[in-house]
Amino acid sequence: MIVAGVDVGSISTKVAVLTPEKITYKMAPTGWSPRETGLATYQGLLQELGHSEDDVDFVVGTGYGRISLPFVSKAITEITCHARGAAHLVNDSTMVIDIGGQDSKIIKIDQKGKVLDFVMNDKCAAGTGRFLQMIAAALGLDVAELSELSRGKTPLTLNSMCAVFAESEVIGLLAAGRDKGEIVAGLHQSIARRIASMAQRMGKAARITFTGGVARNEGLCSCLREVLGAEIIVPAECQLAGALGAALLARDYLS
Amino acid sequence: MADYRQMWTDLEMDLEKHDLLCEALPDAFGGIYLSQENRPQGMDFFDFVVAEIHGVRPAELIEHQQKGGKVFGTFCVYVPDEVIFAAGAISTGLCGGSQFWVPGGEKVLPTNTCPLIKASVGARLDKTCPFFRIADMYVGETTCDGKKKAWEILASDVPMHIIDIPQMKRAKDIDGFAEEIKEFIKVVEDFTGNKVTAQVLGESIKLINNKRKALQRLYATRKAALVPISGKDALLVTQIAFYDDPTRNAQMVNKLCDELEERIARKDGVFPENAKRILITGTPMAIPNWKLHHIVETAGAVVVVEELCTGTRYFENLVDESATTLDAQVRALAERYMKTNCACFTPNPGRIDDIIRLVRDYKADGVIDYNLQFCGLYSTESYLIKQALDAQGIPLLHIETDYSEQDFEQLRTRVEAFLEMLGK
Amino acid sequence: MGDERCYAKSLCRHSKRKGEVRLRPALLESFQEIRDKNMLTFKEAKERGVKVAGIYCGYCPRELVLAAGAIPVGLCGTREEPIAAAEKDLPRNLCPLIKSSYGFAATDTCPYFHFSDLIIGETTCDGKKKMFELLGKIKPVHVMNLPQIPDRESSLKLWHDELQRLQKVIEESFAVEISEEALREAIHQTNEELRVRKELLDLNRNKPALISGMDLLMTTFQVGFNADHKEGVVMMERLIAQVKEMAAQGHQVGDEKTPRILLTGTPVGMGSEKIVSLVEECGGLVVAMQNCSGYTCTQFMVDENDQRDPLMILAEKYLSIPCSVMTPNPGRLALLEQMIKDFQIDGVIDLTWQACHTFNVESFNVSELVKNKLGLPFIQIETDYSNSDRETLRVRIEAFLEMI
Repeated sequence: MIVAGVDVGSISTKVAVLTPEKITYKMAPTGWSPRETGLATYQGLLQELGHSEDDVDFVVGTGYGRISLPFVSKAITEITCHARGAAHLVNDSTMVIDIGGQDSKIIKIDQKGKVLDFVMNDKCAAGTGRFLQMIAAALGLDVAELSELSRGKTPLTLNSMCAVFAESEVIGLLAAGRDKGEIVAGLHQSIARRIASMAQRMGKAARITFTGGVARNEGLCSCLREVLGAEIIVPAECQLAGALGAALLARDYLS
Repeated sequence: MADYRQMWTDLEMDLEKHDLLCEALPDAFGGIYLSQENRPQGMDFFDFVVAEIHGVRPAELIEHQQKGGKVFGTFCVYVPDEVIFAAGAISTGLCGGSQFWVPGGEKVLPTNTCPLIKASVGARLDKTCPFFRIADMYVGETTCDGKKKAWEILASDVPMHIIDIPQMKRAKDIDGFAEEIKEFIKVVEDFTGNKVTAQVLGESIKLINNKRKALQRLYATRKAALVPISGKDALLVTQIAFYDDPTRNAQMVNKLCDELEERIARKDGVFPENAKRILITGTPMAIPNWKLHHIVETAGAVVVVEELCTGTRYFENLVDESATTLDAQVRALAERYMKTNCACFTPNPGRIDDIIRLVRDYKADGVIDYNLQFCGLYSTESYLIKQALDAQGIPLLHIETDYSEQDFEQLRTRVEAFLEMLGK
Repeated sequence: MGDERCYAKSLCRHSKRKGEVRLRPALLESFQEIRDKNMLTFKEAKERGVKVAGIYCGYCPRELVLAAGAIPVGLCGTREEPIAAAEKDLPRNLCPLIKSSYGFAATDTCPYFHFSDLIIGETTCDGKKKMFELLGKIKPVHVMNLPQIPDRESSLKLWHDELQRLQKVIEESFAVEISEEALREAIHQTNEELRVRKELLDLNRNKPALISGMDLLMTTFQVGFNADHKEGVVMMERLIAQVKEMAAQGHQVGDEKTPRILLTGTPVGMGSEKIVSLVEECGGLVVAMQNCSGYTCTQFMVDENDQRDPLMILAEKYLSIPCSVMTPNPGRLALLEQMIKDFQIDGVIDLTWQACHTFNVESFNVSELVKNKLGLPFIQIETDYSNSDRETLRVRIEAFLEMI
């Protein structure tokens, strides 16, 4: 049995293919056409594996682009998929924090990765991957550099959570000659607080799985650890949890 | 819509602007309503009313005025319609459910006011709602901060009476509300020149009760395992009840119910039996606000009951008809209206009890707590609702939104995820 | 305490204003200590068995608390810090005053909340009304049902009932009986306090002004934390004497040309003083404040010779407070117009805390009065307690002062 999960996010597209032997992944930037990228990435991975589309028994599509994928057998929201994927990657975790390109979500799950409750950010970019991208750009940095730069720095207080205003606040701080590392540390702290106030609405969790591309930012992870007072686990496949979850759900569906 | 341009011109409406609204409505309605399959035939009447919403009923109201009758425009389920009809006047709901009117409201109101209030004020000031133009008097109430202060702006060129709603529900507050009703009777009598006697008030109580009973019957059909009517359609019927003639409304709703009861008997549902059943609670949904119902029902679930002002709060409680003196009738009215559980009261445990009871009665699988943006009352009460429903093990999704379409896809994701969470 | 640190910071900015060397009344120092010093006084009083009632609003008839031999104290709610904690339970788009108040209570960081045996609330606005339901899970909260249409006869009757009920609640929870004599004495004491407060605030009818807006705000804010209200009266009297003495020697604040600003709208305190400090950093002076932390409540002194039921007298007094929670609320506009004349005002700033619907909507009427009827510069500022928009606000306020 071969199943696949295709997660078309706002920034990147992830595909997971599950054969009885192994799990394989492929990632690509989504670009302007979620439909084409989704299909190309999916077909690309199958080709690498020496399979054709006909070999695949079931495909679950997820992510904001899930409705535009004609080849999927079923569309499931990224919330359900991330929960399923995260539970597979990390044992004994009761909460998933996923920070994606355009939204952040906190999901309470059971042992099997079934969603018990969830919250999402409101219709603004605060506390999302896009928010970090914008601020990094304002600082003349790449997102990947943020973590390193903030290491050991005392966070400055940032007040704006609106991406647009935060950008001007950061520019103001730069103009005032403040240290970039301190600004970034402050940025991490303010995102962590924002996420924490959402997470606390879901109750306490001792072990939290952190997924999505933003989870690669170690500076933010340690802020979250501190603010939430919980163990934060970032699986190596943190960006792939959605695609993996989709593939697992495809398998569940068949069996 | 038939041609009502002369009437709208006479009402000094802004025709150009109003045309834009008239153009948009059929598309929106068609996409959301007419695309549904296997709809009850009895919905034809309600479809017709919506199609002619700014024409047929306004024409009737004007005819009433030409015969010397008065029309009162109201905004809230706490206004005792019985008093208005008893004085030979007509009570009608006012516009306020579309994003179309919001920019007009934002000219005088802060942007971070709830969309319902902004839309109402916009519909009034932009002259694009015939009901606002027709009403001889507006009746407001002190339910929430936003409305309370908006009256001061609305009152500038039409007589306005404001009912002081107590903020608590102790015995003395019910007494206080009875006093307010007496004062309202006086205002209505003076304004219409008609006396409100025990006899006419008694008749009027029966009239409005009959409308409520019809809606109760409609909602009862939604308890069936195979729901015979979609949530969207039921919501539309309730919304129209705020505008329509109460006698005709009760008749048409009852006719619809005959059909629905037949459908239940022959197990003809509009959704499959395994469709998830959703209760929606929270802030009111005025015409044409069908956004959340549309999202839920196009995701394969069915809305089985609304604990909303445009839902059970509007009709669940009846006025005791046994009173024969004016004093006793006023008392009965005060008691009935103070049973309605809006978040504007503190404390408001009755609403939580209502939600839990309705979840059981309608066998709802989950609850969506729907908040119009910037309504501090409902959004604060959400915390208590969540605690209570968590304790009962009832799944809950909280949604805060406005009339705009911009968060449609995001809401869809949330609702779909919630339905997935409810399981197979 | 954080209050003082922040205050000191704004003070030094303040004294650097346009290179001016200005002598501040030495007695101001004594006010800065009140909040800290009184924490001990409260603790000692509590140990002696004295009861404390925490209050949030000008509508609370504090006379009843005083008459019960208890201490009424305004609770913390003017600082940003506890807001994040409050947002765990409360919606984010609620006014910062409500979130801050709840946050202080929930995190147990307001010593005065901590000392309170009873919290007295009122159904003034939507946010507070509902917040009290959550607060009730932490401490005993008694909520008074405040009528919303003040000029209706039934409203006064209802409000009088509410005062009777409050009296009973206080008597029961503090195990005392409130005598008419004690109540009349409390009325007298409160009158005294209002009289002195008004006299202090009226100093700035003088042109040029005699005391800065920041100093006035600090003084009136701090004096509210006095356990002994009589002591507060004496302190204010001494300060007034000192300011007058300095004025006689030619010390003033600003000059004839300094823009005289009236601040109206939602209440301010230390921690939420940013508009006042910005105006004064930009070279203006807030000479008067028409809000419940400022001049508004000082208007309502009671005739002590009135022999009617003291509760009725108090009901009338409190129901006449022109807060925007009332509809209609012409009293506020009348008071504003009078103050603009009395204080020779050059411009009006209407401050709205974010998500305060009543003041926000009423700003429409205020703007009509100030701009259209009186022809004065007017600006409405909607903001919260954070400093994120401080620089944007500075630009707006500077531009506003340039208009004058």
